[in-house]
Amino acid sequence: MFIFDDILLRSIGFSFPGLDLLWVFEQMRDFAYKEMHDQIKDKIKENRMLYELGEMTSVEYFKMNNILTRQLKLAERAKSMNIGQKTDLLGNEA
Amino acid sequence: MKGNQNCSGKYVYCIIKCPEDKKSFGNIGFGGEEVYTQEYRDFAPVISDAPMKEYEINEIEIETHRKVVEKIMEEYSVIPVSYGMIFKNKKLLSISMKAGYKAMKKAMKTIENKAELGIKVILPKGATELNGQMEQLKSDFIDSLDEIAVDTKQLKIFSDRLLLNASFLVDMNKIEDFSDQVSQFVVKYDTLKIQYSGPWPPYNFVDIHILGKKQRGFR
Repeated sequence: MFIFDDILLRSIGFSFPGLDLLWVFEQMRDFAYKEMHDQIKDKIKENRMLYELGEMTSVEYFKMNNILTRQLKLAERAKSMNIGQKTDLLGNEA
Repeated sequence: MKGNQNCSGKYVYCIIKCPEDKKSFGNIGFGGEEVYTQEYRDFAPVISDAPMKEYEINEIEIETHRKVVEKIMEEYSVIPVSYGMIFKNKKLLSISMKAGYKAMKKAMKTIENKAELGIKVILPKGATELNGQMEQLKSDFIDSLDEIAVDTKQLKIFSDRLLLNASFLVDMNKIEDFSDQVSQFVVKYDTLKIQYSGPWPPYNFVDIHILGKKQRGFR
């Protein structure tokens, strides 16, 4: 089923100031999710590096690794929730 | 964890050039399952039976995946497959092999008889900078190691203490030369920490996407 969404409307010259602002917020949110996800991944790698260098004990390493892994799972879940995704009433993804 | 865990799938560790079906590598897979090949023309995915689930980041399971690939590397050049790649059955795996066959052939040419070696140059604890010697250090490392390696990839600097993070694709018979060069750097830059690792499967030099992200094809 064909759906008129905000990107299509924007491409043919329609613009609604309120929706535009919402769209900007959606883009900012998606960017923030990606940033958060990448930052946690970097911290996991840094944690591993410090452990391999002998600057952390195995207890410290596993404790931090568990915290970061939990954070990463949460960030992935937030990313996969797709709150802003448009879905038509017949269940097809827009 | 999602999906039906009782359903047995085919977990893929890597792909090798081996026309032999059911060649066994022992019971070293997930849950002590047998790791074996499934023939597809002149290639074979190395697989084990495993529960169909979403393989999340888990140190023990990643270690199992790594150890299996390391064991295979003792005998074969491997095309590495991302951790967590599982197929519902042999037929779906064969379809993916068919889709990726050309890319695999090309990748195998690049990585045959080669291994990946990693170098990280790290600032010591408490140090904050390198007194403007950063560029010289980078070119020193990269230029001289580049001469021995077939290919080089500079990787993400994921920590403030990391000065250089690079991977090198090196011919198996040149690994010793490469290691000697690294040893010289360790002496020359004795105030820095140099982390030298490998040989690894060439993860940073093979990038085959077979199915879409949602379908979880191998990469």
